[in-house]
Amino acid sequence: MENLHSVYLEEAEDLFSRIEESLLLLEKSPDDASLIAEVFRSMHTLKGSSSMYGSNKVADFVHNLETIYDRVRGHEIDLTQDIIEATFKSLDHLKKIVQSPDIPDPIDAKYHEKLTADILGLLDEYSGGGSSIKQGSVSTKNTFFVSFVPDKNIFKNGTNPLLLIDELRDLGPSRVYTTIKKGLVSKKADPKECHTSWDIILVTEEDENPIQDVFIFVEDTSDISIEKIADVDLLSVSQFASKLPSSDLSSKSPTIKQIKKWVSEIPQEAFENIAEEATEVEEVTEDEKGEKLQRSHTQDEAITSIRVSSDKLDELMNQVSELVTTQAGLSLYAENNFDPVLNVIADNVEKLSRQLRDIAFEMTLIQISNLFRRFNRVTRDISTQLGKSVKFITEGGETELDKKIIDSLADPLMHLIRNSLDHGIESTEERIKLGKPEKGTIKLSSYYSGAKVYIQIEDDGRGIDAQKIREKAISNRLISKDDDLTEKEIYDLIFMPGFSMAKTVTDISGRGVGMDVVKKNILDIRGDITVESKIGKGTKIILGLPLTLSVIDGLLVKVEATSFVVPLVDIKKCFEIKREELSNDFNELITLEEEKIPYLDLRKEFLIKDENPPEKASIILLENEENKIAVCVDAIVGEYQAVLKPVGKYYRNQEFVSGATILGDGSIALVLDAYKIIARKIVKQKKSA
Amino acid sequence: MRSIEEENEHEEMESYLSFKLDDEIFAVDVKKVIEILEVPGITSIPLSPDYMAGVINLRGKVLPLIDTKVKFGLEPIEFTVETCIVVIEIEVEGEVLQIGTLVDAVLEVLEIPQSSIQPSPSIEAKYRLDFIRGMIRREEDFIMLLNLDEVFSIQDVMYMQEANESMSSEELTEK
Repeated sequence: MENLHSVYLEEAEDLFSRIEESLLLLEKSPDDASLIAEVFRSMHTLKGSSSMYGSNKVADFVHNLETIYDRVRGHEIDLTQDIIEATFKSLDHLKKIVQSPDIPDPIDAKYHEKLTADILGLLDEYSGGGSSIKQGSVSTKNTFFVSFVPDKNIFKNGTNPLLLIDELRDLGPSRVYTTIKKGLVSKKADPKECHTSWDIILVTEEDENPIQDVFIFVEDTSDISIEKIADVDLLSVSQFASKLPSSDLSSKSPTIKQIKKWVSEIPQEAFENIAEEATEVEEVTEDEKGEKLQRSHTQDEAITSIRVSSDKLDELMNQVSELVTTQAGLSLYAENNFDPVLNVIADNVEKLSRQLRDIAFEMTLIQISNLFRRFNRVTRDISTQLGKSVKFITEGGETELDKKIIDSLADPLMHLIRNSLDHGIESTEERIKLGKPEKGTIKLSSYYSGAKVYIQIEDDGRGIDAQKIREKAISNRLISKDDDLTEKEIYDLIFMPGFSMAKTVTDISGRGVGMDVVKKNILDIRGDITVESKIGKGTKIILGLPLTLSVIDGLLVKVEATSFVVPLVDIKKCFEIKREELSNDFNELITLEEEKIPYLDLRKEFLIKDENPPEKASIILLENEENKIAVCVDAIVGEYQAVLKPVGKYYRNQEFVSGATILGDGSIALVLDAYKIIARKIVKQKKSA
Repeated sequence: MRSIEEENEHEEMESYLSFKLDDEIFAVDVKKVIEILEVPGITSIPLSPDYMAGVINLRGKVLPLIDTKVKFGLEPIEFTVETCIVVIEIEVEGEVLQIGTLVDAVLEVLEIPQSSIQPSPSIEAKYRLDFIRGMIRREEDFIMLLNLDEVFSIQDVMYMQEANESMSSEELTEK
């Protein structure tokens, strides 16, 4: 059951964000038929899965919403701002109540009622003006009289007749009359026997067959009669309904004869009214047929992709990682044993595990658009709340990232976007005064570059005043007056704990907690964060993230006894040199291919105390967009697929280590983050300059 | 002896694992102890604080190691045949983590009634008080009961590190 609930929640979540996305687009172009259809479809699916999960309250609620959109779809009513607003409210409410579909909280329950009434109100309001009367009256609704006298031993088969009645009632509106056999109070009555029978007046679009199907397991033993009494919805004919006795135990069930008599007494006009309504019904069912077609279509598509719980994927990834590690052990053993047969096997295993790794890895990637979609809504809400007019653009939603990274990005991104909305974008008046476009723009984009994925949050707001940050930092004693900082270094100050630029604390941001937490979150997934800003023009915050947290191709190198893995994608070239070439150079520059390049000796950098470094050394040339750095190591061992394992929070401050990996012999190699190493070198250069 | 046991019969007995750092005996709640390992090959992480002894491969997992002695202000551990790694589970920033703690020797598992744990004397400030949950008297010795979540909390680790860094930078500026 727990599992079912989580599946349901997951699906609902998915549908909510789909509906929201379409709605936001609909606000801009309310006539887009495909969007309306999308909303309708998602609501329909939501209704379906809600009732399948058994939360009828949710299903009923969604049903009303769905009806509105069905009418919008049929051009009966226009999609107004009122409807959209009501839908947003309803979505918020639904998000809450799907968690506990019985709505245990009385406040929620009240709200539930209010919203339901609102929506029904909307429906009423619009249904009047629609062109509802159509020609050609073929009713599909029939009224049946069903009499069900169960065999008295029915309980012994384990059948609960009440469930059958319930099932029947699901077919359409109904009246149920219960008759208890007389004399039941006497002591002779066996409580293990059934002495009750039922008569049901049922209105349904179906024919007799589904009604018979309900009784399929009891039809041999029980008395069941199904008779069609009219081919319209009799229960909605007041002349008929008023004659029916109330359906409590005290009233006697009407007989089939009585009913037939009543039917014959109904004046013809009443039927005509019904017939008119029936055309409407007909239309709906036509649509529903289309819907069914579409649904079966999507079901066909669904077979090409399946929903798998992320736990299972994680487990798969773990197993694949173990396999890759074990394979490394096998390869090492084969290499040392000079057995040609073993070597061939080891090679094959290596090939296979590499392929398996790539497939498994791809499975854990998801598009970042899932995350971006969420912010659409938030931006809309917050900007309305702040009275600011903001255009929110997303780009590069198709960029794929490890699920774990995406999960841990939600909070920091949310914070950054809030900041942009709250502090970045000016109020509308201010913008007009400044000659900026009335609507502010926030752009959330992502793209690949090298081994990284970049996510940018860009706004065209007031920008960050570096001078003010400097002053604030000095007053907070984060820096001293004589510190000479570059612009970038100044912007980095906003990530210091306790640093908040907001002059007033608002509901949305500016409580002093914030950017430091954002930075911490980003560092935890081994990413980095930079700020670019121009006063009056806007701010750009760039997050650089690793593509994956799991497996990378790297170069295995040694420094003293420790093994390191450098990601292959960051490496430009490798050279072999004599160590003495480095030693006399106090500028720490090395000439490679007639170019002077700053170098970093890892022996020195990592404070390894050994007076006798090997004569030969290897240089690895690392390169990012801006810089080239040569890194000197003792020896290059070879290419290696590294299964990245976290070194844990305790080593959070050793940023240049992005993880560890287990080598074939069981020892651990540290995976270096080339970008962080380059950054270290640059900082050093500046300090010495 | 018997009478004491009988007396304690109704009381909840709790189990503690005791170990040695230099000549002093400490104990931790066995519920927190995952396993005890011999010392395998350790990979040290450059530029990390002294009490972070490196990482080891624990059946495919990377386990951070802490030199408990350095953490407690003693000399760095020297590896002998008796040196052990006690793998413990602690809660850090709302997450349950496993870490390895290096100790000079693992002694035994003690069954102790709750009542025999005495509050730690506030006078003896050799160790930080929030690290010690209480004392157990065992014949002539006192065993110090550790408050693991406190001892190995990251905030503390970070704090110490920042302190070290700011100290070194101050030293630099003085020079």
